Amino acid sequence: MKRKVEETTTDGDNETESIEPNLDEDGDERPTKAPKGDSKRKASNPDLVRPLKVSNKDLYKAPTPEELNQLKETESLFHCSLLKMQMEELLKEVALSDNKKRLVDSFVLKITELLQSVPESSVVEVSDTTWLSKVEVPFILVPKSTKGKFHMEPPASVALIGSYPLGTCIKPRVAVDLMVTIPSSVIHPMDAINQRYSRKRALYLAGLAEHLLSSKEVGTLRYSCLHGNRLRPILLLTPPGKNTSSLTLRIHACPPSDFLKPSHLNPRKSKIQTEWYTGIDAPQPGGADTPTPYYNSTVLGDHLPGAHLQFLSAVRDQCGAFKDAVALLKVWLRQRELDQGSGCFGGFLASMLLAYLLTSHKVSNHMSAYQLFRNALHFLASTDLTENGITLARNPDSKAPSLSDFHSAFQVVFVDPSGHLNLCADMTTQTYKQIQHEASLSVRFWDDPTMDGFQAMLMTPKPLVRTYDHVFQLSGLAKMQSACKKLDLFSELMDHSGNYVVTALPLLLSLLQRGLGERIHVLAHSLPSDPEWPVTSEPPKHKDQPPLSFGLLLNPDHLVSVLEKGPAADSPKAAEFRQLWGDRSELRRFQDGSITEAVLWEASTTCLKRLVPQQIISHLLQLHADIPPSCIRYVGGLLDDVIIVRKESCGTGEEESLKVVQSYDDLSRKLWQLENLPLSITSVQGAHPALRYTQVIPPVPVKLDYKRFDREKHIRALLPQEGKPCPAYITPIKVICHMEGSGKWPHDRLAIRHIKAAFHIRLAELLKNTHKYPCNPTPTHLDVWKDGLAFRIQVAYHREPQVLREVVSPDGMLLVRDNPEAQALELETQHRPLLTSTLHGLQQQHPCFGAVCRLAKRWLGAQLFSADVCEDAADLLVAYLFLHPAPFTPPSSPQVGFLRFLHLLPPATRVIASSSFDWRNSPLVVNLNSQLTVADYTEIKNAFVASRESLPTMFIGTPTDRKLSMWTAEAPSVQMLQRIITVAAESLHVLEAQLTDRTQTQDVRVAFRPPLDVYDVLIHLRPKQVPLVESAVDPPKHPPPRGAHEGAVAGGVLPVVDFNPVSLYLTELREAFGDVALFFYDPYGGTVIAVLWKPKAFTPHPFKTGMMGARCVEVSEDKASTVPNVEAILHDFSVLGEGLVHKVVPRTEKWVV
Amino acid sequence: MAVSKKKHASQPCVIPGGFTVLDLKCTKNSPAAHQLFVKEHKVRLEKTASRPLDRTLFVLNIPPYCTEDVISRLFSQFGPIQSVELKDKPGNPEPTEQKLSKYFTLTQKQGFSVGYIVYSKPSGVSAAKAHPQNVPLIVSTENHPVKTGLQKWIHQYSQSFVQPDTLQQAVDSFMNDYDRRKEEEAERKKKEAEQQEEDEEGWVKVTKGAKGAKARPHSEVADKRALQKEGKKTKRKELLNFYSWQHRQSQRDHIAELRKKFEEDKQKIALLRAQRKFRPY
Repeated sequence: MKRKVEETTTDGDNETESIEPNLDEDGDERPTKAPKGDSKRKASNPDLVRPLKVSNKDLYKAPTPEELNQLKETESLFHCSLLKMQMEELLKEVALSDNKKRLVDSFVLKITELLQSVPESSVVEVSDTTWLSKVEVPFILVPKSTKGKFHMEPPASVALIGSYPLGTCIKPRVAVDLMVTIPSSVIHPMDAINQRYSRKRALYLAGLAEHLLSSKEVGTLRYSCLHGNRLRPILLLTPPGKNTSSLTLRIHACPPSDFLKPSHLNPRKSKIQTEWYTGIDAPQPGGADTPTPYYNSTVLGDHLPGAHLQFLSAVRDQCGAFKDAVALLKVWLRQRELDQGSGCFGGFLASMLLAYLLTSHKVSNHMSAYQLFRNALHFLASTDLTENGITLARNPDSKAPSLSDFHSAFQVVFVDPSGHLNLCADMTTQTYKQIQHEASLSVRFWDDPTMDGFQAMLMTPKPLVRTYDHVFQLSGLAKMQSACKKLDLFSELMDHSGNYVVTALPLLLSLLQRGLGERIHVLAHSLPSDPEWPVTSEPPKHKDQPPLSFGLLLNPDHLVSVLEKGPAADSPKAAEFRQLWGDRSELRRFQDGSITEAVLWEASTTCLKRLVPQQIISHLLQLHADIPPSCIRYVGGLLDDVIIVRKESCGTGEEESLKVVQSYDDLSRKLWQLENLPLSITSVQGAHPALRYTQVIPPVPVKLDYKRFDREKHIRALLPQEGKPCPAYITPIKVICHMEGSGKWPHDRLAIRHIKAAFHIRLAELLKNTHKYPCNPTPTHLDVWKDGLAFRIQVAYHREPQVLREVVSPDGMLLVRDNPEAQALELETQHRPLLTSTLHGLQQQHPCFGAVCRLAKRWLGAQLFSADVCEDAADLLVAYLFLHPAPFTPPSSPQVGFLRFLHLLPPATRVIASSSFDWRNSPLVVNLNSQLTVADYTEIKNAFVASRESLPTMFIGTPTDRKLSMWTAEAPSVQMLQRIITVAAESLHVLEAQLTDRTQTQDVRVAFRPPLDVYDVLIHLRPKQVPLVESAVDPPKHPPPRGAHEGAVAGGVLPVVDFNPVSLYLTELREAFGDVALFFYDPYGGTVIAVLWKPKAFTPHPFKTGMMGARCVEVSEDKASTVPNVEAILHDFSVLGEGLVHKVVPRTEKWVV
Repeated sequence: MAVSKKKHASQPCVIPGGFTVLDLKCTKNSPAAHQLFVKEHKVRLEKTASRPLDRTLFVLNIPPYCTEDVISRLFSQFGPIQSVELKDKPGNPEPTEQKLSKYFTLTQKQGFSVGYIVYSKPSGVSAAKAHPQNVPLIVSTENHPVKTGLQKWIHQYSQSFVQPDTLQQAVDSFMNDYDRRKEEEAERKKKEAEQQEEDEEGWVKVTKGAKGAKARPHSEVADKRALQKEGKKTKRKELLNFYSWQHRQSQRDHIAELRKKFEEDKQKIALLRAQRKFRPY
């Protein structure tokens, strides 16, 4: 056989290499080689951490004082020196290179010169824009008319402001701010009123744009606006040439700093006249114009950049680590998507916050960047700026507004050094709460020595879909306009100069916050992004912006209640409650006799209960803001679809699993109560995924249709009929029953096996006699039919593995030697029951654990990886997500849990490389029941590093399994893990795109359909004979009759248990052709077996009697060599699976015989 | 018989190594055939009576659906067969320690196997070796259908049921047997112990023992435990930080440990840097 296309092999060795890291986006490449000193040691395998050998001489030489100091410092400040070094590396990575700085400086110089040469123009009316021939004005001119004159003139000054001169500018997306001062002859002090100043500012910017447009020094020229504020347009410039995206120059037009007195722009003053804004002349009788705090702070903000830069520079000069600390904060904010858009907590605010901490002596000037960063997070976590604002002003002048003034006008208060400007004017309470939440999470994670705080804090991006349990989007932002009307927000709308999105947002948020109440921890929203548009087109309308996204962090304790209990009917708060909920609020009488207002949501299953927030949100938005449910795209249970057990009831299996567990508990009780056993039972333990809520297709009690079966004559049992569809698959639920240790047990492996069989017979007899359960004892187990479920009881003797391990050496010495047989038995009778009960406990803590496991396993199955990642390993991976969620919180919805599961696996692609798990160099430790201490962690890690080569590719450590990783010992191989990782990255990409982008087709099943084009042979099965085909990802429309209906009956006849032709077929295939090919199958109802030839088997071997299975001989020059007999093998595929196989399709376009 | 007629028409196919290639088809109409490789059984050092050298045919590459019955039917055309033995891999027949009832034997792997066919006469071997390749052996014929696939699995499933009584009998007979053996062994031990005792005249007969065993049974675990105990004892007696040199030493150790950690971390960082793991986004 020869491959036609080499690249398509999944199994090929070329995939074992880690993907080479891409080049920088900004083009400044750095050598990817390891430093010289290490290169020799790592020559064999560059990506692997090896145990380090340092000579004793080096370790014990006399330390220098500096070294001693450094060692002591790292020991006391950081958990380990690793963190310190990681921080340093990160800072190096984001710092601007000298090369880049030169580029910036020269570009700024050129642009400054250009700007100075702006020609003067004649004086025109402000509303007259005919003098602009090539560009549009970056301003939405509503209302159209304004008074005033305007003309162009070269700027009074051009100066750098913001992060670049301060030295806190970081890569990538380097943005350099350039302030252009509008000459005072262009503007007039009266211009503060009615947007006249803002319009002139926009015109001035347009004038500059027109001038720059013709220049060759400028690459692209676009408009944007500062933090989404349409009153503050800015001009974005990139240098010409190829590296356009790496550097952006932002031109801000500002008035001279003494243009207006700050006191005129007090938040209580009104600077927009209602008559002008509405165009209706008659002023509202009896009232002065409403204050316009937002507009005022916008205008005032333009006066202060210079002053702020001065202030921050002074602080920076005092404190050496200031720059680095700001850089760290900026990275932290960026990973949380908090640094851009309207109402963001950007780099400027971060600098100001640090300056506040330094000037108020909350931190000392001598602290390191790491300490400053930590203190800043701590301050954010512990201070509520929505209640107690802070101010940087030392001695505010008498005219400055007080903090309470600010609080009444704005949601979040952080006053600048002048005492007049609120730096957080456009931030919503929810955004600040989100920052607080993130900060407190970060501080908490950082204190936990068992985890890699650095990764969690600074390296892991937290996009909305992966962070929040439920996400919803408001599309059709035009509806927000009507919301403003409904919510009576006219004056606010005027204040925000018509930006209805920003205007309505705070009120909608507080409405939802009230309605959702205790159900959620955090209500977060994406910040409306800064629009960008080319200078030649008009500014985009408010409604054309991308939809707003909201994220809910659910509180699992209150999630399941379907009742919103309000105040008593006669209490004064009842009216408020009724107002909030409208006609959904009803008077209800409760069992304790109280009569209260209440709202009842409809949800019968856990799955639906999780979606109650959706009902609440769409109800509230419809009622109070006129936003129809069609505008809300709620993404909370999209993935539930693939694990729904029964279509009618719409449950995701929690209820079914609970029934199984209840039935098992009953069985266990009955086993305990059995009398007349030769030895007593010491424990009854479940050892099946269904007993920890993680079975993908949980067993459902069934009633049998006897007509569709044959009978076994001697034992009352049913048999499958030949020529009929395969009967429904009845999962045997494994129960391990340990018998008391006693001297009566023989000390011999064969004898123990016989005794166990005798126990099975005895148990069957007792269960049959006392409880009338149909039983079938066999040498290895005992099947019990109970409540429409089949339990498989297996008797175990705790010393049996020990007996299996004992070998007597020829000289009579009793040796203990580990062997696979003993390990398998131990796994079966000790570790699996323990894992089952531990994970069952986890399910009690985190109600959606089971659902996430089932999604994860469904995905693994559907992508044909079930044979490589066993169920227990998959459950452990999911348990890891719940026990070590950093930097997230434990998932409270299956959807987010599954997305994080997919994200945990892949380090393959560049996009998400930063946070994924490094299987090669680190063990994944799942601290079940928090049994492991810090010392244990180190021990596991050291043992792992010491014997990495011999350990499984995917190492999962648990408290009971610290050195072996027993669940992943067999599989996956390096190649398969690589493949899993690649597919996971792809699935994640597809799913996240679907969840965030509403224009994409809505079919989450796409991620559950395997790409079959990489396989060499496809064996299609007859759906009729695949017993689980009804539960497949894409189930058939007309399921064949299986002879089983829902509903349980007691007693009766033993059904066909554990009869799955497909798995029997697969076993035969693997046993016969395991040397030649790999077989992949989706055990949850797949109808295709995918076969991949093993390339190694197809290179001709010399004739050897030991390995001749399925091979044929070719003789050339008196030498016999053998290759697999492909045609006969293909024929055997259909022979072995006669009746089951529909057709065997060799995909010969990929290979030839 | 059609086979014998064609025999003269074509030659047997013998490949280097001395094996004759026989084609084997599942049914008459099968599009592809497996190649069986047969040769007389010739192993120098085998001393088992079950495979007499002159009469045993060694067969390689027998497909999983060929049971011993099928093989014996297929190869009986070359002469009367005494026994057929199918194995996973070529090699000596395993010594069967004791007879287990069929319920307790472990299931065989259903892969490709090798066979040892013992003919009643040596002529059977040579007849098989002379069989031409282009006349394939047919596994499943109308008279002797071979069950595969669903049919086979359903059959297997119905066969898997055991009457509890029969199972109990099997268990009982084995356990009785086991108890008897245990008793015999105990008896033997007792006798050995008796031999070691003084006789009337005060003489002790010293023997090497059955397998050179010591008088008391010992195990690896016990030996290890004893060693550990010893080690603990010495450790307990040791004094820590008692002398000033000890104190100095422990301080030096601490610094060395910090240094070692530092070096390790440096290595990790270098590695991560090489993988460009420090780009936050």
